[in-house]
Amino acid sequence: MTEVTIPGLSADPLTLEAIERRMQDRFPTLATHIQYGELTIHVTPDALIEVLTFCRDDDELRCGMLVDLSGVHWPAGDHVIDRQPSTTGWPEYRVSRDQGVIEVLYIVRSIERNHWFRLSLPTSDENPRLPSATSVYASADYPEREVYDFFGVEFDGHPNLTRILMPDDWVGHPHRKDYPLGGVNVPYENDKFIPPPNERDLRDIVGGEGP
Amino acid sequence: MPAHTGGGFDDLFVDGADWESLDDAVGESSITINMGPQHPSTHGVLRLILDLEGEVVTRLTPVIGYLHTGIEKNAEYRTWVQGTTFFTRMDYLAPLFNEAAFCLGVEKLLGIEAPERAQAVRVILMEFNRIASHLVWAATGGLELGALTMMTMGFREREHILDLFESQSGLRMNHAYIRPGGLAQDVTDDFVERCEALLDLMPRKIHEYEDLLLRNPIWMERLQNVGVIDADTCQQMGVTGPLLRAAGVPWDLRKAQPYSGYEQYDFEVAVDHAADSYARFLVRFEEMRQSLKIIRQAIDTLPGGPVMVQDKQIAWPSQQSIGPDGIGNDPDYIRHIMGESMEALINHFKLVTQGFPVPAGQVYSTVESPRGELGYAITSNGTNKPYRVHVREPSFVHLQSADLMARGHLVADVIAVVASIDPVMGGVDR
Repeated sequence: MTEVTIPGLSADPLTLEAIERRMQDRFPTLATHIQYGELTIHVTPDALIEVLTFCRDDDELRCGMLVDLSGVHWPAGDHVIDRQPSTTGWPEYRVSRDQGVIEVLYIVRSIERNHWFRLSLPTSDENPRLPSATSVYASADYPEREVYDFFGVEFDGHPNLTRILMPDDWVGHPHRKDYPLGGVNVPYENDKFIPPPNERDLRDIVGGEGP
Repeated sequence: MPAHTGGGFDDLFVDGADWESLDDAVGESSITINMGPQHPSTHGVLRLILDLEGEVVTRLTPVIGYLHTGIEKNAEYRTWVQGTTFFTRMDYLAPLFNEAAFCLGVEKLLGIEAPERAQAVRVILMEFNRIASHLVWAATGGLELGALTMMTMGFREREHILDLFESQSGLRMNHAYIRPGGLAQDVTDDFVERCEALLDLMPRKIHEYEDLLLRNPIWMERLQNVGVIDADTCQQMGVTGPLLRAAGVPWDLRKAQPYSGYEQYDFEVAVDHAADSYARFLVRFEEMRQSLKIIRQAIDTLPGGPVMVQDKQIAWPSQQSIGPDGIGNDPDYIRHIMGESMEALINHFKLVTQGFPVPAGQVYSTVESPRGELGYAITSNGTNKPYRVHVREPSFVHLQSADLMARGHLVADVIAVVASIDPVMGGVDR
């Protein structure tokens, strides 16, 4: 086994504050926050490609790898998410938003400097649309297809934005919170069994036209 | 394999019986063939679409999703502790890594740390799991490339490791043994003894595999200079783990961002430079040796004490000794909740039925799984269930680069390329 050292790996890694400063020097309008020892930078969709290119090419940051890309759906409205029946003292989750948001999270990592941070991008859940990161990081290909598949976010400039894990003719985007869950009622009439509807045919519930 | 000629308006579809007419019809044009999803050498249900020029691959398109089970969505409707039982089923060859990565994320949100003994046991079991996973890789990879003996030997020794897991968690696979806050239960009295037996056995066996494969001309011929991907491309494609280390980058999360007390163990990061499939074979075998080295140290310094945090709000009451009849719950514990303390009974009931709330926020926790960086991007909204958990599965990310590795090689080399990536479809499709 030969010893290999990467330039910079032995050097002091950048602190989160240093990364934050570096990003804000270049993009003064970006909001940032540090929680649980993790840095999140809130990016607007029109600045995404510029920010990602900066993360990749900057001499200080040198984030050569886009390790993860995922989505979180925060639906609009004022309602309690129906989970375990809440008893006294248990936190209830109430959503109150004017507009539904799909938050897309990018995690970039620098192997040379041994640091990582998160970029957070909001997009409307009614017409979710973001620029594709594939021109900056080739590895965004599959993850973006996954986010499209599960949340319906369309990535402009993606070479082949098709469903990846769900079947091609699937209707709806399953990880959205407004996606109807299964749980088919099985009705009985006296002792006669009435066969339930085909669970997989979600077109009736979602109301889509199909591909 | 059904096939059709690519491009042009005169596409010809052939479904197996009329190969003779194919040759004339194809002429100079390229041919597209389908491989899988039930092909025996595609590691489960992976489907590959190959564009061929003669017998040379010009493009490889993986088609995935055949094993999609919606684990991430399901976990949103289960408590945090129940999440472990789901995530352990993703990458089924490395279940303990999935559990550990998820639990580390939950612990980060809760602001707690598992006790030292739990961390050491996690490390020991994870490293054994790494060996077991690499053994399956060697076994299936060997089978696909014609080394049938490697298959029988790899699965034989893996069985000993699974016996150890079974003795501790009750299950050979999908253990749900690592829980947020520690472990489901303490290790058995013969744990160290069992580990010692494996530590005694494995070096000899690894030597035996190397005798079989290391200088085997067929093995070398099939692997060397096949599936080369250099360090820069690895980074651009998000490739980590043994593939990145075989390309000369000593990147290992156990060293770079230690978790579960890895910083206290002395081990080396296996690196090679050839960046081909043979280099990955060398790296994985060296990793098995280094894993044994870590286990040796962890057993020698195995601390005592509890294996679950002492916070009664979090410590799930499965942490019990087994009664003298061998089954059921700890009689002392039952006496306590049923006969002595009403509050203890209420706490038990609430923990089991509702779980515990986890502070709101987002974390990304990673471990170095046998395949690379396994990351859990967890979003909590402050309730007793995850709001969203996304899993960064190394197999999923690595499959993207199969195209780059296979281009320009023969069809037979596609098998070697896929084998050297070591994708686990349970992890890819989740």
